[in-house]
Amino acid sequence: MDEDVLTTLKILIIGESGVGKSSLLLRFTDDTFDPELAATIGVDFKVKTISVDGNKAKLAIWDTAGQERFRTLTPSYYRGAQGVILVYDVTRRDTFIKLDNWLNELETYCTRNDIVKMLVGNKIDKENREVDRNEGLKFARKHSMLFIEASAKTCDGVQCAFEELVEKIIQTPGLWEIESQNRGVMLSNHKEGYGGGACGGYCSML
Amino acid sequence: ALPESEVFEITDFTTASEWERFISKVEEVLNDWKLIGIASGKPLGKGVYTTDAWEEKSDEISFADFKFSVTHHYLVQESSDKDGKEELIEDALPVSMQDLLCMNNDFPPRAHCLVRWYGLREFVVIAPAANNDAVLSESKCNLLLSSISVALGNTVRTDFEMVHLRKVPNQYTHLSGLLDIFKSKTGCPLTPLPPVSISIRLTYVLQDWQQYFWPQQPPDIDALVGGEVGGVEFGKLPFGACEDPISELHLATTWPHLTEGIIVDNDVYSDLDPIQAPQWSVRVRKADNPQCLLGDFITEFFKLCRRKESTEEILGRSTFEDDGKEAADITHALSKLTEPAPVPIHKLSVTNMVHSAKKKIRKHRGVDESPLNNEVLNTILLYLFPDAADKSSDGSEARPGTSTGNNPPPENEDSNLYTQFKSAPSDSLSYKLALCLCMVNFYHGGVKGVAHLWQEFVLEMRYRWENNYLVPGLANGAPDLRCCLLHQKLQMLNCCIERKKARDEGKKSISSDRSPGDTGKAIGHSGGDSQNDTDKEKGEVGRSWESWSDSEEEFFECLSDTEELKGNGQESGKKSGSKETPNLKPEGRLHQHGNLTLLHPGEPLYVPVTQEPGPMTEDLLEEQSEVLAKLGTSAEGAHLRARMQSACLLSDMESFKAANPGCCLEDFVRWYSPRDYVEEEVVDEKGNVVLKGELSARMKIPSNMWVEAWETAKPIPARRQRRLFDDTREAEKVLHYLAVQKPADLARHLLPCVIHAAVLKVKEEETLEDIASVKKIIKQIIILSSKILRFPNPEDKKLEEIIAQIMSVEATIARARSLKAKFGIEKHDQEEERDDLERFVNCLLEQPEVSVVGAGRGPAGSIIHKLFMNAQRVATTTPLDEELKRSGSSDERRLNSGAVADFPPAAGREVILRTTVPRPASYSKPLPQRMYSVLTKEDFRLAGAFSSDTTFF
Repeated sequence: MDEDVLTTLKILIIGESGVGKSSLLLRFTDDTFDPELAATIGVDFKVKTISVDGNKAKLAIWDTAGQERFRTLTPSYYRGAQGVILVYDVTRRDTFIKLDNWLNELETYCTRNDIVKMLVGNKIDKENREVDRNEGLKFARKHSMLFIEASAKTCDGVQCAFEELVEKIIQTPGLWEIESQNRGVMLSNHKEGYGGGACGGYCSML
Repeated sequence: ALPESEVFEITDFTTASEWERFISKVEEVLNDWKLIGIASGKPLGKGVYTTDAWEEKSDEISFADFKFSVTHHYLVQESSDKDGKEELIEDALPVSMQDLLCMNNDFPPRAHCLVRWYGLREFVVIAPAANNDAVLSESKCNLLLSSISVALGNTVRTDFEMVHLRKVPNQYTHLSGLLDIFKSKTGCPLTPLPPVSISIRLTYVLQDWQQYFWPQQPPDIDALVGGEVGGVEFGKLPFGACEDPISELHLATTWPHLTEGIIVDNDVYSDLDPIQAPQWSVRVRKADNPQCLLGDFITEFFKLCRRKESTEEILGRSTFEDDGKEAADITHALSKLTEPAPVPIHKLSVTNMVHSAKKKIRKHRGVDESPLNNEVLNTILLYLFPDAADKSSDGSEARPGTSTGNNPPPENEDSNLYTQFKSAPSDSLSYKLALCLCMVNFYHGGVKGVAHLWQEFVLEMRYRWENNYLVPGLANGAPDLRCCLLHQKLQMLNCCIERKKARDEGKKSISSDRSPGDTGKAIGHSGGDSQNDTDKEKGEVGRSWESWSDSEEEFFECLSDTEELKGNGQESGKKSGSKETPNLKPEGRLHQHGNLTLLHPGEPLYVPVTQEPGPMTEDLLEEQSEVLAKLGTSAEGAHLRARMQSACLLSDMESFKAANPGCCLEDFVRWYSPRDYVEEEVVDEKGNVVLKGELSARMKIPSNMWVEAWETAKPIPARRQRRLFDDTREAEKVLHYLAVQKPADLARHLLPCVIHAAVLKVKEEETLEDIASVKKIIKQIIILSSKILRFPNPEDKKLEEIIAQIMSVEATIARARSLKAKFGIEKHDQEEERDDLERFVNCLLEQPEVSVVGAGRGPAGSIIHKLFMNAQRVATTTPLDEELKRSGSSDERRLNSGAVADFPPAAGREVILRTTVPRPASYSKPLPQRMYSVLTKEDFRLAGAFSSDTTFF
């Protein structure tokens, strides 16, 4: 199924509850929008193969529950991730303010410090916006992240967000490893590439 | 030595026709390299031959079937000399000729020998390509040695000549003889002869350091055996070289610019007293790979990684028989340990326990065969488990020591080193264990000692588990995934002990007013294990809410009242749903949740006491995510996945219900997922603005998992719920894991800790010496290590690289210490002078050659002088009185006064003679002439560069 897949990447989606993490993922993987998507329990998991610059990458995307109580459980899954999508809801300032907590969480539980981070401001289709685009941009710049605003409902920016993230990961030396004989087996044998550590120059993106 | 076939800067006119093809090839290459034509350049600055970079490029040329390599060596100059070519002054001499006279780069400390001999900044070497094809016969040499300088309109050329002798003709051992030969070679027709400028360097070698013997103390191994911890304590790493890492000191005394006649140096007398030389410079010869303690330590530990034997194979199969069986059969052990009978709390200390364990081992093994003797073992165990030392007579008391490591002291910039290296905090048990194993491996029986210590360690772990003693030196809480797996395993064990302890303590308080048998039946774990196993095989499919909790019918906390539970469960089971029986007694309240009140009864909303989800080590986590991922991405898969993870949610709901009788899902959501309770301001019929709240749309989806779980949840406080985390099983798994680790596995687990410790050690030692270059290398080591160690199964080659770098740093620091001792820096009381000396010593380590400020009269110079004098004194064993006399008036003495000289005979004499004279005729253009001579014990070389004007010849 993945004869020509260059690598398998582990991507995380985190953020406050109800900001639309699962919806973003569903839009990306199935290109659908379900307004009645149940609140995630623990972690969920989806797979999608995408092609970036002619390189096929298989994404194992872990969607997490945003509720405080689940936070004792979900950070265990941060381990070994190469990319993370940090989501907030542009119509709810509190979800934006809590971003700092999530970054802390990442720093504490992430096993690597060169993980590529993307900030996504979701629900831009809604009218009652509370967080300005510039604020998101500023936050992303401050924390060396990629930034995009998106709407899982209208499809805006979703595909682009994932592609950018993957492209950045591929460009970061040592962050990923070419799929060898372990192809097809995803999590049991995923080995983090040797020689990471370099920030890969993406720090000054914005 | 180089084969004598070098031809410099060739443009060939003199070769016979049979060589023409070869010649033209040479020309081709030189043309390619743009070396043909007039090259000019600025005079070179002082010392640039050492400070600037040299580069080279090569080509291969064959003469018939004989291959030559042509190599262009050149000093990389920053300025664009090539562009300056056009603005040449007509009369300018080629740079090569200018270089002959330039005195800025005489006696370079490190340079190609041709640079040393001729002072050139650029040259081409043509040599046989294969090393064994040296051009040996003189005729062949001559054919090749048709050399001239880079073309200067064909008007001048320089012949580079060389004399190389094993035996030195007497007349060449001194300046006057050399001057004679120089003058005869230049054959200057003028009278009086233009002055000859002279540069002389005499080099003296000091090998005998005398009382400045190497100060490294060998570690005192016996001290340990005596019960007292000596030179190298457990938990510390040794450091330093075992032999003097500085083997020789070379003192070069230089007269950079003398004119003929100023100085007398002939076969009977010499003015060249090294003390008087205007320039002194020193270089040190470092011992190659000196044996260093830290390096040996790590290397030996690393070698363990390649051992194949298991602990049992090393200690003898019988050793582990009792424990081995137990460890191998977890199920058996498990059922034995989960036996509900109250665990007897032994009044045993660690040491008691160790002794009893040892007795057991000794039954199988002769006493003498124990790789570690009792004292060493006890010292180590007390170091690892300091809580055992302050044992109270009552073993059940909480030990004060157990909290060590809970709050690791801040290590400033090193504090996060363990996360970079994936090792363990430097005050943790794992880290200490790594150091002990390292020490045991080195001093106490190698791999056998390691196996023995490990066996004892595992026994101690089991003892602590069985007797509810927390393992010291581990941070509280779930395993820290940033640490090495072994550390995580130990933390996991501690989590298990903690929970078991809490449970047992609860049990104890109840069993005091209850017969033990009663409690036993209540827990009943009939077939729990086998059931669990089969379920696992089914891939967890079809499991209900408890999937991730353990399936045993064991409860989070011990049962306080079986009857009550049953009654409660049935009752609430029937009535569960949207409505709860409000008259239930609230249970398991943690604290009030702000000012929130329940929606219906209006009572305060309480946050319940909840079960913490099970801690996980990274390997378990990997397993679990694999299971979750295997469920696939279908809707069913996702549903199942959510179900499997909802045990925690359900448990929380049950706790919540128990703490808040009469609550509804909305109440729960307001605590658990507040954003899913949407509040709106509405105006009621009276015209007042009131808040109206409802569940979010997604929570209202019919039969979504939250609703489903809520309906299933019974009001049961956490302490009576099923355990989400089976500490018994997890502890046994950890203990089994520990028991089957081979010494090699251990070494792999703990190598990051050892490297971490070694880096801290070199850092600590470096701060005492403050060596800039070492600081830089240490930084590089940290970067390299964090790249390599963070990933599973690093390659041996890369690990070796890290170790080699640590060793080189250790050697450098040892060299610095050796030099400091030799120069008596510690003894120096004048601070300013001491600082200067310190700088001087540091320079010696980093630069190939360091000039001595003030030459023989400066502070460093006088120390060097003394060093030589002492060595000479011993070498000649002069009577004491003479010695005293001499040391008092050393300055006044002449070198050749017959008494013992302060310095040994010069090991090397280098002389450069230079002049500018017209050759071959008096009307020819005056051109640079230069002759370099070097005389060592068994080698004499003259390198002449004599230029002549070819205009009329």
